[in-house]
Amino acid sequence: MSVDISLRVNGAEHRLAVEPTETLVNVLRNRLGMTGTHKDCTMGICGACTILLNGQPVSSCLLLACQADGEAIRTIEGLERDGALSLLQEAFLRYGAVQCGFCTPGFLMIAVALLEKNPKPDRNEIIDALKGNLCRCTGYTKIVDAIEFVANN
Amino acid sequence: MTACLYTRLDTVDDAVQCLASAGEDGHVIAGGVALGILMNERLVKPVHLLDISRIDALKRIEVTAEGVLSIGALATHQEVLTSAAVAATCPLLIEMSSEIACERIRNRGTIGGSICLGDPQGDPPVALLALDAVVRAAGPQGLRDIPIRTFFQDVYTTALQSDEILQEIRIPRIPDGGGMAYHKFSARRAMDYATTVSAAVQLACDPDDGRIINAGLGLGGVGVTPVWSKAIADGLLNATPCPEIFAWMRKMVHEELSPIGDHLYSADYKSHVAAVILRRATERAYNRAVAGSDRR
Repeated sequence: MSVDISLRVNGAEHRLAVEPTETLVNVLRNRLGMTGTHKDCTMGICGACTILLNGQPVSSCLLLACQADGEAIRTIEGLERDGALSLLQEAFLRYGAVQCGFCTPGFLMIAVALLEKNPKPDRNEIIDALKGNLCRCTGYTKIVDAIEFVANN
Repeated sequence: MTACLYTRLDTVDDAVQCLASAGEDGHVIAGGVALGILMNERLVKPVHLLDISRIDALKRIEVTAEGVLSIGALATHQEVLTSAAVAATCPLLIEMSSEIACERIRNRGTIGGSICLGDPQGDPPVALLALDAVVRAAGPQGLRDIPIRTFFQDVYTTALQSDEILQEIRIPRIPDGGGMAYHKFSARRAMDYATTVSAAVQLACDPDDGRIINAGLGLGGVGVTPVWSKAIADGLLNATPCPEIFAWMRKMVHEELSPIGDHLYSADYKSHVAAVILRRATERAYNRAVAGSDRR
């Protein structure tokens, strides 16, 4: 059976029919063409697929699309404004917090969630917020630097 | 591909009824963290998903008139972590919840889901064993209370019947003068799974001479289920922490527990780690009991 659902993604409403077992990350990527949210471990471990569900970070690989019916979802595609990157995205570029880029959408979304809850986190709070996201390139330092820059500006 | 059915439930009664009619085909889904992994790994292929995640009545956290801390099965780990009622009555659950994975998992994972999974390395079961919690299940015959210490029966097997839904977790009032602590060993700071061993301890001491007069403990990652050891808990009674009692505990841990060795750590090493963290948790709980102020 398919289930009719409505997803509010970055403010835009999408009505679609999904299979009950389809995960949100698959619907975002395969149905809505929003491939910014990356899919990697599919076990909730790596954090690459992190999105915001009603403002809270969650793993979209473990969230069924039908469970997100009617909810507000924010993805990396919603960060830029009028074609311009957000301050956080600019900071990631400026500090070299991006190498291969696979983990980057997850780090950006977890950083957005952190800064919305706590606009002035100290370095330890930033490190703590990132502890569930894996990056195999940067060694994390530059990611923390970028978020710290935004927190201080 | 066989089509999967999906029903979203709004009340416990509807959920119990739907589960009864779905029979063995019914798969209850709450936050979806555990089931999501099993589905992604193709270890579970649900025939009929019963989505209880929107039953608001199962999200309540409250202290009853009798002083029982009642936590709805659908309370997320993050909600437990940030609950004023939990902080005021049972700081052990705050300490434990802060150790669960990371925020994005805590935002979806529920305390009830964790208990129903019965993972030997899950954090909530270990703490609830130490606290002597009672699990309340709703089924076709009504409500049934199950002591948590009889709940975990075998590998990922609990006392919950296939026609029952976990409704709430009830933690008896903690007497004054108690202390509690949760301690977890893991190689990584977060998101560790394969390598964790954990211990929860709840103690009460005699205010005059400091003897332990009540003790509960739970252990994780040291067997096929979360473990409660009556023998070790009873052995703490009338004692005060000292090298002799910890030596005895270490011996008991090696004798009583049967950890499963894996590609990282041998069973013997896990027993060693369990003894060390059980001692640390006991010391911390005792110090808190003596200081008369639980960790907030």
